[in-house]
Formats: sequence, structure tokens, C-alpha cells
Amino acid sequence: MKDNFLWVEKYRPKKIAEVLGNEDAKAAFVDWLKSKRRRKKAVLLYGPPGVGKTALVNAASNEFGFTIIEMNASDTRTEKTIMKIAGPATSFVALDKFSTETKGSLLFLDEVDGVFGKEDRGGIGAIIRTVEESLIPVVMAANDPDLQKLRPLKKVCELIRFRQVRLPLLIAMLKRICSMEHVEAEFEALERIAQNSGGDVRSAINDLQSLAEEERVLRLQDTTRLTPRNRNIGMFETLKGVFSARSLGEAATMLNRSNADHDDLLLSISDNLPLRYEDPVDLSVAYDLVSRADVFRGRIGAENWHLLRYFYNFLAEAATVCPQSYRPFEFIFPPIRIITLFWTKSKRMAVDGICAKIGARCHVSRRTAKQEFLPFVKIVLEKEKSNAIASWLRLNTEEIDYLTKMNKF
Amino acid sequence: MGLDEEALMWVEKYRPKNLDEIVDLHDVVASLKAFLKTPRTMPHLLLAGLPGTGKTTVALCIARQLFGANWKTFTLELNASDERGIDTVRDRIKDFSRYGRTGFGDVPFVLIMLDESDQMTGPAQTALRRIMETSSRTCRFILICNYSGKIIEPIQSRCAIFRFSKLDKKAMVEHLKSIAKKECISLSAEAAESIVEYSEGDLRHAINALQTAAVYRDGVIDEKTVLQVMGEASPRQVQLMLNKALSGDFIEARKLMYDLMGLYGFSGSEIVRQMQRELLKVSYLSPEEKADLTNIVGEYDFRLTQGASNDIQLSALLAQFSKFAKSKGKLGER
Amino acid sequence: MVCLNKKSFKLPFVGKDTFLLLMRLGLDYNKGQGSYCIKNCNNIEKLLDTIANILNTEKVTFLQSCVMCGKDFPCTDCRYYDLCATKDLPFRCVCPQCLRNERLYEEHVERN
Repeated sequence: MKDNFLWVEKYRPKKIAEVLGNEDAKAAFVDWLKSKRRRKKAVLLYGPPGVGKTALVNAASNEFGFTIIEMNASDTRTEKTIMKIAGPATSFVALDKFSTETKGSLLFLDEVDGVFGKEDRGGIGAIIRTVEESLIPVVMAANDPDLQKLRPLKKVCELIRFRQVRLPLLIAMLKRICSMEHVEAEFEALERIAQNSGGDVRSAINDLQSLAEEERVLRLQDTTRLTPRNRNIGMFETLKGVFSARSLGEAATMLNRSNADHDDLLLSISDNLPLRYEDPVDLSVAYDLVSRADVFRGRIGAENWHLLRYFYNFLAEAATVCPQSYRPFEFIFPPIRIITLFWTKSKRMAVDGICAKIGARCHVSRRTAKQEFLPFVKIVLEKEKSNAIASWLRLNTEEIDYLTKMNKF
Repeated sequence: MGLDEEALMWVEKYRPKNLDEIVDLHDVVASLKAFLKTPRTMPHLLLAGLPGTGKTTVALCIARQLFGANWKTFTLELNASDERGIDTVRDRIKDFSRYGRTGFGDVPFVLIMLDESDQMTGPAQTALRRIMETSSRTCRFILICNYSGKIIEPIQSRCAIFRFSKLDKKAMVEHLKSIAKKECISLSAEAAESIVEYSEGDLRHAINALQTAAVYRDGVIDEKTVLQVMGEASPRQVQLMLNKALSGDFIEARKLMYDLMGLYGFSGSEIVRQMQRELLKVSYLSPEEKADLTNIVGEYDFRLTQGASNDIQLSALLAQFSKFAKSKGKLGER
Repeated sequence: MVCLNKKSFKLPFVGKDTFLLLMRLGLDYNKGQGSYCIKNCNNIEKLLDTIANILNTEKVTFLQSCVMCGKDFPCTDCRYYDLCATKDLPFRCVCPQCLRNERLYEEHVERN
């Protein structure tokens, strides 16, 4: 059922309003576009990748009807090349004041921070010159939020900052794509994709497409297949090295040299044990060792780092319970806990609130309310949503809804 | 919150308000009444016993007897697990006993009810003892716990200890029947006995089950309904998880564990405790096997208290179960 | 920790230098009402620090204004509080009530 379309293409914003989030940045950009007597004739849109900088420029051009002359600044590496491309452009178009009424052109330099390398010191100068000599407005986009590098540009262009798109909007958009593509998706799966993308709209849509396109059904557990973004490759290499090690010493060395975070390691090794060990006895031995590593980790706390090597030792032992049984396998990553933590925090808060109310009325602690009362209250309300118990406990509609929709055992 | 608002959960509606109404606790009640005759002489109390055996009820009755209709004004109810540490407890007590709340009538103190006191750590209990001492002029403490052995000596020696044992089954059945009558519900004898069986001496549990069953079939409770309700209310997921582990299917078991933590927000120790309970109910395990497994559970429960992570310890525990299954031959049938 | 409304908030009297700094960092001042508002957010981190210093508090956060209903609400109301990279900053977002709206995205587009 695969389209030949990339969903990021298919659902590219065609209007400024369709660009998600970054309201202030959008407004500032439109202001800049529209104002007839602009202070600066160039603008630099900067911020993390995939949050809508390019999308905004394209959408604006659609809406206002101007032409974009685009140049990927990082392809062009020398002043000459820039001038060659921007030069003719800046001189042939005779419009010197851009406005929304007249159809004009814009020079768009994308990924302008690709030019700022040591070898390209001429690059920035060229850009500044381009702007100064240009007769048409210049829009630039940069991924690198490093303001130091961008500072020279401040003189000639206005800086507009973009940030990661916030989760609620991102999720709403994913929801919409799902409905347009007839994908049945669990809300929690969309939340997970959104969270994993870190506010990068493009990668969120790509992830959605790769996970959901085949089956057109998306469950939360499918999201474990998400490739980690911005995670250190170090983790994969470490896991591979540790699990395939042929001796305790080999595994221990691997761990000591790894730059993966030790808490992440603990979780990841723990998660992957059942994939590594098919034999239940091996598995139980390995797990017991990981359990001890975990206890040890608790004792190390935030201070006793010199004890870390014992922690690593336990982990190494856990990974080499039966070296000869190693067969390559696909790792689980990111750790399952991180996945579950996300979609349980708010649920846990909801349960807490309900338990506090039960506790207040029935003279029990929240914990007791959860174990002794909650299952019964849930059943009662499932049978009779309007049961007077709910109002006696002072439960609000949200809480009642949550209780009755909470998955059955 | 209207004081005369009718309580709709039966555990509250039919909670005795008077020491005389209490089911099956004659010795305890008799001694207490002696103290209550001259309130000034009342010591700190330690009420110990299994859940649902009447401790909170007795404490509340004492409060009512001492202070009358406005007992809530002179009683502070605290739960060790709800407070974030002994300092918050101390603050709440201090605040409470301030503002001229030094007693009522010929009762020269206010009441501090502290439930789950055995859940407090050693150091916290030591601090509690000091609090009890410094405020003993204006406060009397009623400490409630499941295991008096977990209360430190210095506190025990300052309290009059009352033990609450599992309630007599016949008395529980009678109590359920009387509630059913008042609520105009038809309750078969077998159903009542069934509920009592499942509740293992916990009257609160029994009454909750009764109320739920009543809603289930609209006022008619037979044994079948009870089984359905108990099946739904009891953590069947824990049973399932246990069975999966025992049959060697670790990955499924671990998935169910994550569901428990995620959907219900149960902590590691809560799940472990449930596992312990469910373990005893598994029909296809022999007593020796149950004992072995209980030891294993205990070991991991202990590790949890050492500050280890919930999911790792639980996963490891499930792994031990699945090994256990293999070494004793395939155990788990569902 | 102090929570402010970016559309209008007050600060105690500041000297000329600080005032100019605030203006440079993106604030605007309404003389009639004696209140500040945020004009642009490019220097938001530095701005927050400066305001925190002025108010002698550890942390300054801002209310969000909902892009759907316009309501002002704090980030702590939102279920994604722990995961949001830009929480407590004075941008616009979606309030918890509107978040439950099924047609969230469509309406968002319509509104603009």
C-alpha cells in the first residue's frame, strides 16, 4: 500500500497558517515581508531543523505570490560561486521594494550556517555583501543556534528565532495525517512519535510514515522500532560489543571504554537480556546480576563514583553468562522505560487525584485507595456511570471518564 | 462537606459510629471503654492488625466519643504513605495543635491519628517518638499499623497496644447480610460466604465487594455474580503475569508488568505485594514450591527497599519465576 | 518562582541602564499602565535571567496563551510538562482544554 509520496511532501504547508507553532516567529516574518520601509532587507531564520523555517518561506511565497530564488548556501562554498548565483539575481530584478501587492522575488539562502567553517571564512563575508548589494530581499535560514557564528550577520539582517514545535500541535497534526491517510493509530503512539522527534516536524512525519504506511495501523508497541534521534551511536556499539563478548574481561573493557551513559546502559542491557538469552536459566542468572548492578547503582547514588567499576562488573557478568550462545539480534532501544514513562506520567497523576479523593472520604491513604478501593469504584462506574458514588467522592467528569476508559485487565 | 451528608460508599455508610456497634471486637472495646471513662488518663494508643479488621473504625469511634459531633475539628488524620517524610508530619501536627486547639470539654488534648505507621523508616519513627514526646501535653496519638513488630521499641513502650485479629467468618457473613437487608438487596447465603472467603478476614474488602456486586446485577447477588466481581476486581493481570512467567514466557510477562505500572501506576513494591498474594492462590503449585517462590519474592522485595529501580527488579523477579518453571518442569497452565 | 503574563507584567523600578537593557532584550514598556510586555523572544534566555535578577527570585516563567481560545495558562497545567523543551517560555501553545478538541488542527488552521 505504499504511496510513492513522501508524506512530508504531501502535507507540506501551503499557507502560513498551516505552518505549525512558532507563532511569534511567523508573525515577525510576515511583518518583515509586509513592511514597506523595513529597517533591514535581510532576515535570518534560525533554529533547530525541521521546525518550519523553510516551510514558512515556501508557504509565504505561495500565499503572497512571490518567487523564490533558492540557493543552498552550504553547497556553494566560495564567494565567487555565491556571487555568481546571487549576482545576476540581485541585479536583474528591478524591484527595489518588495510588497505583497506586487509579485516580487526573494533570494533564499538555506542552511547558511554550512558556510561558516574555517575554510569558508570568506563565506560569511560573501553573504553580507550579497545582502548589501541585493536589490531584492534576502531570506536566510540556519540550523545552528550558535549565535557567535551568526553575529556578524546581525548588522545586516533581522534575526528571527524558531523553536521546537510543541507537542500538542505536533500530535494534532499527526492525528490529521492519520485520518487523511486512513491510518488507525493509538493516541499514545502518536504522543510517542511526537516526543521522539523533539519538536522536529519533518522527522515526526517521516517516522509516522515509516511505521504506519505498511499496515495502516499503529500501536504504541510499534513505536519501539523508532530509530533514536540524536542518540550517541556509542550505545549501539557498546551493546553489540558487550553482548557478543567472549569473555567477562572483554565485556568489562567494552563498558569501561564506552561513552554511553551508565543509567541508559543499565536499562538497555536489562531490556535486551531476553533477546540475548533464550534459555530461562541463563536469563534468570543474567537478570539477577543486572538486579545487583541496579542495587549497586542505588548505593552509588550521586557521589560514590569510584564504585562505578563494580557496577560495570556486574553488568559485564550479566552480558557474558553464556558467551557461546551468542547470535546477533536486533536491539531494543530506546529503553522501554522511557517509552512507558512518557505515557504513564499523566495517567499516574490522574489516578493519584482520584485516589486522594477516595482517601479523603473513606479515611484511607492514597495507596490503600488505589489497591483496595479503586478496582471496585471502577467496576461500579463502568456499570452505572451516573452512580451517586461518583458525586459523593467528588469525582469530576474527566476522572469518571478516565476510570471507565482505563483498560480492562 | 456536609457532616450529615449521607455516605454513599457502604464502607462509610455502615461504619460503626459507636464502640458498641463494632463487630466482633469485644476484648479490645472493653479495655478501651475503661480508658475513655476518664479521658485524661488515656495514653497513646497503638492499634495493630491486618487490614480491614476495624482499627480505623475504632480510632474514629474513640474520636467521636471524646469530642462528640465536632470530632473532626479535634482530630488530625494522617497517613504515613501520603506524607512526604517525617518533617511534613511534624509540620502538620504543629500547625494542627496551634490555634488554641488544646482540647474540648474535659478532654485536654487533641487526637492525632497516624495510619500506616509501620511503613515509616527507623529514623522517621525515632523522630516521631520525639514529636510524640514534645507534644504529649496537647496531643494524644493513635498509631495504626499492620505489624507492631515494625514499630520501634521506644514508641511501643509509650503506647497501649491493642491487637486486631482476622475477623470471625460467621460474624462477617452476618454483617454482610444485615447490610444487604438495609439496602434491600437479595443476597444468597452462598454468595455471602463466597465474599467472605475471598476477603480473607478483611471486612472492608468484603463490603466493597458486596456493594460492587449489588450494582452488577441490580440488587440480586448470587454466587456467580460474586465470582465475576472478584475476578474483575482482583488483580487478574497480576495472576496473568504470574502465569506467563511460570510457564516460561518471560517477554509476555514483562509486557504485562509494564502495563501494570503504566496503566494503574502501581509501584514496584505494590506489584510485588500483589504477586505474593496471588502466588498463594495459584492452584497448581505445591506448598514447598510456594515457599521457595516466596523466598525469592522476599529477596527482591528487599532489593527494592534498597533503592533499586522498579522495572529492573521486577523483570529480574519474573525471570527467576520463569527459570523456576523450567527447573521443575513446565508448570503454568492457564 | 515567579510566573508572569507576557502581554502585561510589572517590575519594580529599575535604573536607566537596566531599562535600556530590557528594551534591547525584547521588552516594550507601556507608560500609561506602567507595565512591560514582550515584543520579541530572540533573547528570551537572557531576558529571563535579567528579570529574575530584578525580581530577586530563582526562576521566572511565563504563562502561555492558547492559540485556540486565547486563554492564559501556566505550563504546569499541561500534561506534557516534563517533556517539553520550551516550557515556561512565553510563547503560545494549546491549553489542556483545547487539546482535547478532536478537530484541533483544522480549527487551528481556520483561525489563522
